[in-house]
This record gives sequence, structure tokens and C-alpha cells, in this order.
Amino acid sequence: MEKYWNQEIECMPREDMKKLQDERLVAQVKHVYENVKYYRDLMDEKGVKPEDIKSTDDLHKLPFISKADLREAYPYGLLAKPLGDCVRIHSTSGTTGKRVVAFYTQHDIDIWDECCARAITAAGGTNEDVVQIAYGFGLFTGGAGLNGGSHKVGCLTLPMSSGNTDRQITFMRDLDATILCCTPSYAAYIGETLHDMGLTPDDIKLKAGIFGAEPWTEEMRRSIEKSLGIKAYDIYGLTEISGPGVAFECSEQSGMHINEDNFIAEIINPETGEVLPEGEVGELVFTSITKEAFPLLRYRTRDLCVLSRKKCSCGRTLVKMAKPMGRSDDMMIIRGVNVFPSQIETVLIEQGYSPNYLIEVDRVNNTDTIDINVEMNPDQLSDKVKDMQAQERSLAEAMKAMLGINPKVHLVTPKSITRSEGKAVRVIDRRKLHD
Amino acid sequence: MSNVRQISVFVDNKPNQLTGVMKILKDSGINVRALSLADTKDFGILRMIVNDTDKACETLKEASYAVTVTEIVAISIPDTPGQLSRVLDILGAEGVNLEYLYAFLGTSDRAVSFVIRVDDNDNAAAALNKGGIIQLTENDISEM
Repeated sequence: MEKYWNQEIECMPREDMKKLQDERLVAQVKHVYENVKYYRDLMDEKGVKPEDIKSTDDLHKLPFISKADLREAYPYGLLAKPLGDCVRIHSTSGTTGKRVVAFYTQHDIDIWDECCARAITAAGGTNEDVVQIAYGFGLFTGGAGLNGGSHKVGCLTLPMSSGNTDRQITFMRDLDATILCCTPSYAAYIGETLHDMGLTPDDIKLKAGIFGAEPWTEEMRRSIEKSLGIKAYDIYGLTEISGPGVAFECSEQSGMHINEDNFIAEIINPETGEVLPEGEVGELVFTSITKEAFPLLRYRTRDLCVLSRKKCSCGRTLVKMAKPMGRSDDMMIIRGVNVFPSQIETVLIEQGYSPNYLIEVDRVNNTDTIDINVEMNPDQLSDKVKDMQAQERSLAEAMKAMLGINPKVHLVTPKSITRSEGKAVRVIDRRKLHD
Repeated sequence: MSNVRQISVFVDNKPNQLTGVMKILKDSGINVRALSLADTKDFGILRMIVNDTDKACETLKEASYAVTVTEIVAISIPDTPGQLSRVLDILGAEGVNLEYLYAFLGTSDRAVSFVIRVDDNDNAAAALNKGGIIQLTENDISEM
């Protein structure tokens, strides 16, 4: 039996949801136009007035806002409320450039907590559960978001933060944690450590995991589910829009329901900016319609994915977004071919290798090179060199079939690639040094 | 004739990799009797006969090394010209395929020992026996 945190909203008929979105959008555009000079200038430049936006059907008339705008407007340029009304700041990890900061009023936090409460409930969480939060706490939104949602549901919350894996497992066992929240790469590491300690899923009480904040594949999901003996749920979010909980997965595990009462999603052609029909792959764009302090209109996420309004077996009517194929930032263009780390991960898990890998991209004599370092599978060690070289070759061939380019595959010793306790670093691109 | 167990360890082709393995063996008081390293551009396979195979495997695995155990044939032949050639002739005549071999020191300075990795241990052992070649047991080696 599917459980909902807010059945009225989560199962609202589409027409009613659209009406709610229309009202909220109109009010939000007015709020932003009046209070955010940066966005008012963008609208004026485009010749759009708040009166031109009468419903969500007019959304496409609004200008986009991008990460570059957020950097330019740093720190206060997109703030729509006096600082006295704000209660918190979060920040992006800054891995792709200058940090971006986002502001929250208490109302913004309450809505965010509600979104995370829906995610925890969809993963089967109730006030009887013990939720272990192994996302980082701090400027990163992961820890704070799930912490708020867990409190809202009334779960007993273990705010572990990330790291100290032995202690994570000790607490998990001693305090009977039932739901684990962290990045998928850290969940995989916890599973691996559990196994190394000679323990099995029977030694822990976990039943579900809520994992997000980095791209992961379906193969990785199955591998984590097996190693921890749980059902693994995906969660999506971004600091610019609020944090985890913008969208969450239900028992069907086939895409994430977007909390449409707070966020309107569009898919656009990343080249032209044109809105694409449902079912087409493009860049995901979000408009916050309830956020007070940092309300972004038509924010380009650079995440490539697809939306679906197909009926979901869980009963929710909220639109679903597929697992993003990767942030366009993660995409590497190698010898003119688009390559996503998630494709490499898929091949590795299919072939029985650890999902810990490191991609090194470089340019030698004006030709791109890609080297994939893979931890060899200890069960497949042979004393014969030719057998090990055959394993390398066969993996390289599988990679070539998936990627369309010929990577160099290098087997390295087990556990020699650094484990991630937060967002994993999978790619080192040295080409930038030459530009 | 009991076959001798050989330990193979996967090592990265980077500085200090062998040091790491040797330090673990030293700390566990394990003596290496025979050793060979096969290397490729990316990695090496370190093959060893040690005085305590089980303990060596256990401690290396604990330290996250990939370890595998294979049975090999070990022989002792006189240290004079033509002896290895005779062994190879015996194996060749029986159609035994040789994967690799390496020499190690025995107790006598008039004899030399070899680890021989073949595709069919039983066949090789029988042929060597018939040819009058001295084969060593794991016990022989650990007591050297």
C-alpha cells in the first residue's frame, strides 16, 4: 500500500494542479520583477512585463537564468527578500567554478522540509523509522534537507554527516537504522566496507536508502540494493532551486516525481532554448513558484533528461523526470563524441567490476586520449599474464561498443582508487591545461 | 606426488608496489622461497612460493591485495649444461604445454630448482617421474 505525505497535492488531478501553478506563477513573477533588479533588467531587455504572464502557458515568454547569471549576481543580486527575513544560506560545491549561494526564509525551509518528507514517505518512512543521514552537513544541502524532512515525518534522525565509515556501520547496527540517506557512491562504499567487516545485509536493519546529489546508473542501484539488502530510491535536487527533494522516487522506481506545487519543470532544446514536447530529451529547466528569498525563474539546470506524464502505479499525479543522463557539465567530448561517465559505470557493473573508477582525459599531439582506470576483480585474478591482458582487452572492447570511441583500459589493484564519502570525482580532464 | 602451491599477487606497475607486499610478508614472519615478477605496461603479477601459503594469503587479502593460489610443479636438477633442456624434452614428448618457468636456489650449490607452470600438472608430474627428474614437495621447499 503506497503511503503519501501529502495525498491532496501528490495525487491532485492535473487540471487542479495547473490552476494552482498558474496562480502561484503569476504571483511569483510579480514578486521577482518588483524585488530583483537583475531579473527585472532581463525581462525588460526581452520586453516582457509581469502582466504578460497570465498562466503557465506564458512561461516560455520569460527569459532564462543560468549558472553564469548566478555567479555574476553573487552574492545578493538575485535576493528577493530583505536579509532580515532570511534565516539560512547554502552553497553549491563549487566544483565547476565560483561558488553560488542561495538564501532561504523560514517559509522556504518549511517547504523544502515538506518536499523531503514526501520523499522519505515515498521510500516507506514513517515515525517508526530510524533515518541515518550520511550526506555532508554544512553549506551542502544534502544533510540539511533530509534532516529537515526526517524531522517533519517524525523519524528518529541520526545526523551522522559523511565520513568515518566504520562509525557509520557501528551506529547503523547499534541503533537499528532503517533508512540510509547519502550519495550513491558513498552508499556503495558503505556496502563494500560492511562486506569487508565480514557482515552481511542480515546483520543490519536497513530497508531503504534515499540516494542522490550525483548521477548514478540503474546497474549501480541494483548493486547497492544487493550489498545493503535494501530498496534504493533516487532523489533529485539542486541548491539553486532548494536542495534535495525537488523530485523524488516512488515504489515504481522508474523516474522521480517533481513537486510541481513548488517547481514547474520544462524541457528545452539546449541549443535553441525552444521548449520541447513531453517525451523528448533536452535540458531541464525549473521555475520556483513558492520560494521567497531566492526565487529563480526558468533556471537552466544543464541536466539532460526527459519528462513523462504517464500514469504511475503509485497513484501520484506529479510529473516524472527520468534519471538525468548526466549534467551537461559531466559530459566529455572526446574526439568529437559525447561521453558520459554513467555509460562507463554501466559497462563496469555489467562486467562485474567495482563502480569505483577514474577517467583521465588528455590531449596528446592534438588527439584526445581517454584512459579508464578500473579496479581489477580479485575473483578473476590469474597467475597468467595473458589471462589478465585478455580481461583488459575484453573490457576495452565493451567500452568501445558502449562509447563509440576506443579508450585505454588499465586494471589497477583493488581498493586503490580513492573512495568518496560525498560527491565522487570520476574524471580528471587535463586538456584544459593546454588551452 | 603432491603439487606445490604458488601465490600470485596483483601489483600496480608503479613505484613501491613490491615494497608494500614484502613489508606485509616481513611483518607476518613469512619467508619467500621462490619469486618471479611478470610485468605488463599497467600491472605486474608477482608469483611466489612461501614457507606458509595459508598465512601469506590471509594477510595479503586482509590488506586488500588480490591473491590467487595455483598448483605448480617444482623440480631440482643438477647444475650442469643441458639439464633444463632434458626436462623440456621430456615435457615436450608428452605434449605438456609450458606457460612459464623460473629458477630458484635450493640447498645444494650443485643443484638448481625450477618452478614449472604447465597446463596439465598430473601429466607433467608423471612424465618427469618417468624421466628420473627429482620433484619437490611444498614441504621440501619450506624446509630448504
